Amino acid sequence: MSLDILDSRRTAAPDLLRFGVPLALALVLVVFSLLAPGFLTLSNIVGVLVNNVALAAIVSIAMTLTVASGGTDLSVGTAVDLGSLAFVSTIIAGQPVWIAALIGVLAGVGTGLFNALLIAGLSITPFLATLGTLFIGHSLQQLTTDGGNPVYVPTGSIPPALAFIGHGSVLGVPLALWLVAVLAIGAWLLLAKSRFGREVLAVGTEPQVALYSGLPVRAVLAFIYIASAAIASIAGILISANVNAYVPYSGNAYLLNSIGAAFIGTSLSRTRRANIPGTLLGVLLLGFVSNGLLLIGWNFYWQQVGSGLLIFLALLLAFTGRRDTA
Amino acid sequence: MSLESSFESSLAASQALHLPRAGRQAPPPEAAASAPGLSRGALAGLLRFAGLLALLAVVAFFAVRVPSFLTPGNIGLILSQSAVLGILGLGLTLVLITGGSDVIRGGIDLSLAGTLGLAAAVFATLNQAGYGDAACVAATLATGLAVGALNALSVTWLRILPLLATLAVMNICAGLELVLTENTTVPAAAPLIDALNLAGPFDLPVIGLVLVAAWLVLAVTLRFTPVGLRAYAVGGHPEAARAAGIALNRYVAGSYIVAGLLGGVAGILSVAFLNAATSGSADMLLPVIATAFLGRMFSRRLVPSVTGTLLAAVFLGALANGFQLLHVSSYWVNGIEGALILAVVGVTSGLAQRGARP
Repeated sequence: MSLDILDSRRTAAPDLLRFGVPLALALVLVVFSLLAPGFLTLSNIVGVLVNNVALAAIVSIAMTLTVASGGTDLSVGTAVDLGSLAFVSTIIAGQPVWIAALIGVLAGVGTGLFNALLIAGLSITPFLATLGTLFIGHSLQQLTTDGGNPVYVPTGSIPPALAFIGHGSVLGVPLALWLVAVLAIGAWLLLAKSRFGREVLAVGTEPQVALYSGLPVRAVLAFIYIASAAIASIAGILISANVNAYVPYSGNAYLLNSIGAAFIGTSLSRTRRANIPGTLLGVLLLGFVSNGLLLIGWNFYWQQVGSGLLIFLALLLAFTGRRDTA
Repeated sequence: MSLESSFESSLAASQALHLPRAGRQAPPPEAAASAPGLSRGALAGLLRFAGLLALLAVVAFFAVRVPSFLTPGNIGLILSQSAVLGILGLGLTLVLITGGSDVIRGGIDLSLAGTLGLAAAVFATLNQAGYGDAACVAATLATGLAVGALNALSVTWLRILPLLATLAVMNICAGLELVLTENTTVPAAAPLIDALNLAGPFDLPVIGLVLVAAWLVLAVTLRFTPVGLRAYAVGGHPEAARAAGIALNRYVAGSYIVAGLLGGVAGILSVAFLNAATSGSADMLLPVIATAFLGRMFSRRLVPSVTGTLLAAVFLGALANGFQLLHVSSYWVNGIEGALILAVVGVTSGLAQRGARP
């Protein structure tokens, strides 16, 4: 039996197949730039990166960490929302923006701590633990917003720092993209280049072996879920700064696409592990597909069908010929 | 197999190794659980007890606090409120049984809520277009079957990870639903809808009885036919199942197809319950997953089972209904559900660990 595991897990995918997702992305770029004249312009690409990619990328980076550790974090959206709620409430209470941002991230850390307690402390499967957190977070938001009413920062008193986080740019590059770059590089260094990252991947691929080898499995898992929620809460802060408000449950919109991006990204790795570059490619693919369909004039409803179909085709490219999915 | 599973489900998997060799006429998996030894059997009994105990405690609590909770009328209401969720949960349970319950690499069907929405939209749109009940039902069930077949094809033939394949299919379904309904509520009125809302035998609404009937058919098939035993073998111990000559793909594909069909049935029930096809069916996804996974806690060996899923659906339905009767703000319901799920899962997984380590 264990021989089979070794076979299925270690069999390196033929190199050609690893290029399925980059190939799909290239194809999407070529096809849409032929079909839609405005697609391959600098302003459109920056627009896609800022509007469709940045926030999804941050949430997906968070998701990648938990997927690499062998789990999933269904409560990333909750961390986004609670971060946003704490951020906006603190600003409305008259505190400086940097304190509000700190408290927003702390709300994320709190969410992650709760997950860590369930997963590392009580040994509940990550999937179910974070599902529970998601439900509880939903209630928490309903209770604090009287059933889901948005909380606005009064338009007269928007601090300049808030506007800067939402719309500012440094050296001509929007702040959101800088944040994505910093988080992506940080998470990439952590996962791919550090000793801790190897421990995370060990816990993710062979939990029993990791345990018997004396790795601090619980501590690794606890850290990963706290980090995931903290990163997600940064996305929440960005969303609030963008719209000067906290909109309940808005974070959940990123959940499924972040799972999709993280797993599409695994096809980039020879050993099918979650990795940051792959995840970013996945996010780009999803973002450009929806933008391209919009530009060629598909209405919103058909865009959904189209992006579903295109993702499906991308998966086909990434998975066909593999025999290790069963 | 156990190495491949995640940290916790490896425990369930290691228990699944005690599955009797498929192909032989062995007792069904549930009954075989006591075979490995008495202490394990006794503990297993306790596990099953924990899930049921929670259910009974909740029912008793509400029954004491609200006299009308245990009246036949209210029980019927709980059943029909749980019907859509329960039917979808049964579908997901089948997929979990043949796919193994490892969330990441095992079987999962994220498209079920999308199937529900699309099926409901098909039914209501055709109904508005003036087609009769038979045509509407046929088209709706065919829609469900088609979605299920697409999932089955992607997972077995194209070998896409189930999580991803069904995620993409979910998007396609949600898009097609929007195309049909243009994001509006499509009302529907038909003799069939009236019939489904009537009270049937035992004063129970027909919608609720459809759930019970679906459970009965699946439970009998899984427990008393070779198909059921083989389905569990395919998910629990695929190598052994393959060695025993079972066509794995056929069982895996079958589970997705039947799940899709159940999605179609759920679509009809939801149109009947609401007298319309409404948007927002995607919100059902997480409750469906919660139901199917919570259902594992009602089975002695923490495996997915249709009976467990039915109990879980009724459990969640009773909670929501009870809180409503107690005039607890609906804002609390999600949180209390979440906390209860965590409590039940925490207790059972704690017990399971103690049981799994010799």
